[in-house]
Amino acid sequence: MKSQDSEIFYKSLFDNMTDGLAYCRVVFDVTGYPVDFIYVRVNKKFNELMGVKNAAGKKAAEIIPKIHLFNPDLLEICGRVALTGESEKLETYIEPIAGWFLVSVYSPRANFFVAMFQNISNRKQIEKKLENAKIAARNVLEDLSAEKLKAEIAQAKEEAILLSIGEGLIATDGKGNIVLVNKTAGKLLDIKSKEVMGKSIDQVIPIEDERGMPIPPESRPINMALAGRCDRCHAAPGINYYYTRKDKTKFPVASMVTPVILDGKVIGAIEVFRDVTREREIDKTKTEFVSIASHQLRTPLSSVSWYAEMLLTGDVGKLNKEQKKYLNEVYRGNQRMVKLVNALLDVSRLELGTFAVNPEPINIVDLVRSVVDEQKKQIGQKKITFSLVFEENIPVISADPKLLRMVAQNLLSNAVKYTSEKGKIEFSLFLDDGKKFVLLKVSDTGYGINEHQQDKIFTKFFRADNAREKDTEGTGLGLYIAKSIIDQAGGSVRFESKENIGTTFYAALPLAGMQKKEKNTAAD
Amino acid sequence: MENNKKILVVEDEISLRSALSNKLAHEGFAVLEAKNGKEGLEMALSAHPDLILLDIVMPVMDGMTMLQKLREDAWGAEAKIFMLTNLSDTSKVADAIMQGSYDYLVKTNWTLEDIVVRIGKKLGG
Repeated sequence: MKSQDSEIFYKSLFDNMTDGLAYCRVVFDVTGYPVDFIYVRVNKKFNELMGVKNAAGKKAAEIIPKIHLFNPDLLEICGRVALTGESEKLETYIEPIAGWFLVSVYSPRANFFVAMFQNISNRKQIEKKLENAKIAARNVLEDLSAEKLKAEIAQAKEEAILLSIGEGLIATDGKGNIVLVNKTAGKLLDIKSKEVMGKSIDQVIPIEDERGMPIPPESRPINMALAGRCDRCHAAPGINYYYTRKDKTKFPVASMVTPVILDGKVIGAIEVFRDVTREREIDKTKTEFVSIASHQLRTPLSSVSWYAEMLLTGDVGKLNKEQKKYLNEVYRGNQRMVKLVNALLDVSRLELGTFAVNPEPINIVDLVRSVVDEQKKQIGQKKITFSLVFEENIPVISADPKLLRMVAQNLLSNAVKYTSEKGKIEFSLFLDDGKKFVLLKVSDTGYGINEHQQDKIFTKFFRADNAREKDTEGTGLGLYIAKSIIDQAGGSVRFESKENIGTTFYAALPLAGMQKKEKNTAAD
Repeated sequence: MENNKKILVVEDEISLRSALSNKLAHEGFAVLEAKNGKEGLEMALSAHPDLILLDIVMPVMDGMTMLQKLREDAWGAEAKIFMLTNLSDTSKVADAIMQGSYDYLVKTNWTLEDIVVRIGKKLGG
């Protein structure tokens, strides 16, 4: 291109650029520090942008008022570029013309610079909108959080209610680690929630029986629930559990545990418990009352018995048949009362724990043999076929003979009482599969127990209808006593029965034997 | 039938004391009665009965105390005695008796017949 043509070309470029362009000379102060600049040449767009007719020849502040104040960075960069020759860029807002600009600065020769102004207001606007959208979104999120917080507070309130219910509540995860301890539980156990959170319940909340022996973990209701062995887990009736407070004092608890199940898996357990000290005391008072009353009854009962006896033996004159008959009724009635009073006293002793347990090495086969001997007469009278079967090698067991005797006597006498003439009874003794228990099995072909009455068989004073019919004189306490003795010995008793077919009782006693127990003084 | 053997019955409950007395009298014994340990002690030391039936729980002086005091006496140390228990006598006492330290008769559940037989054996031997 010829030089004139190229000049026209470049000039048209210059004039028609969409960006503003300014060719400037820097003004320095005495120290050589850039303090101002003069527009040497500007393009049409620049003038347009700045809203001036022609910026050429003017100073910086004349085109961008107060540039030193509002855009000192622009000034600084221009000066630096003019001095160093290194190009720079800057995004800046130029207030007087209300616009965002991307300013690119380079230096064609020392002390001079060229600044290109690209209007980025639009972009900036979009960016601002985006920013606003972001803020709006954040606000929405914050609102959601507020909602979430409300929900959490509501839940916390529910938990607070839970936390303050009158009963102690402990929740654990699937492994038995504590996840929740409510206020009442904390108070009862004298612990703070944070002391035990996350710790294994077996470790931080020990559980004992009334003798102060720790309950084996697998027998603890909460562990039974976690193992999925029950829906509502609690101590067996008559078994008392105790929790220990921080100060080492103990208190009896009644507790119920339910497993928490999700998708068929046990993911935790919730135990609700209360301190039943007061209830036990009341119970004890009632039992003591029964005990005292029973003791008081003994004297008049003995007296009636003896006088009836003397009348019957003719000590004060011969009796006619009728008189004898009537007196026999009196005597029998008295004997029933005596039996009842004895049974009541046994029950009270069991409940108050005043029965001393004095274990000795017992040959259980011999004991059962002697119990059978006692019942020989009745067995013979009813022409019952009786067999005693026992496994070889049943070890000697450490047990209180009088208590073990009561159990055997009760099971056998029931079988004899409730089996009709010419029936069959089999008493067998053997060890269980695990060799941990000795089993007493008493099987009869007697009247059986009606299905609907079976669940009450071990309760106090309960007598099945058919039993009442056959024998009007039972106390209804025999099985309750037998079961109490067995339970307290760490064993178990159960039965199978079909009305008019027969009944089989199974009593299991641990080979480990009974624990020695001193008699509590109480009212005995 | 025993003849003229003297038996002292020391028992605070009238009905029981009278029943025992009546039975023993019927069996031919001479019966003395005392209603507490103090009376019983006096009577025992003065009448020197062949056998003493001694209740445990009594007012004024109980059976164990009377027994103790009786044993301090020369005659009393050799006297034949049966403690009368109803198995409720404050636990420890009943236990001590049955532990074999003393001869005893059980008031509860035993018939008078049982008691007479035991007494017969004790006196016979």
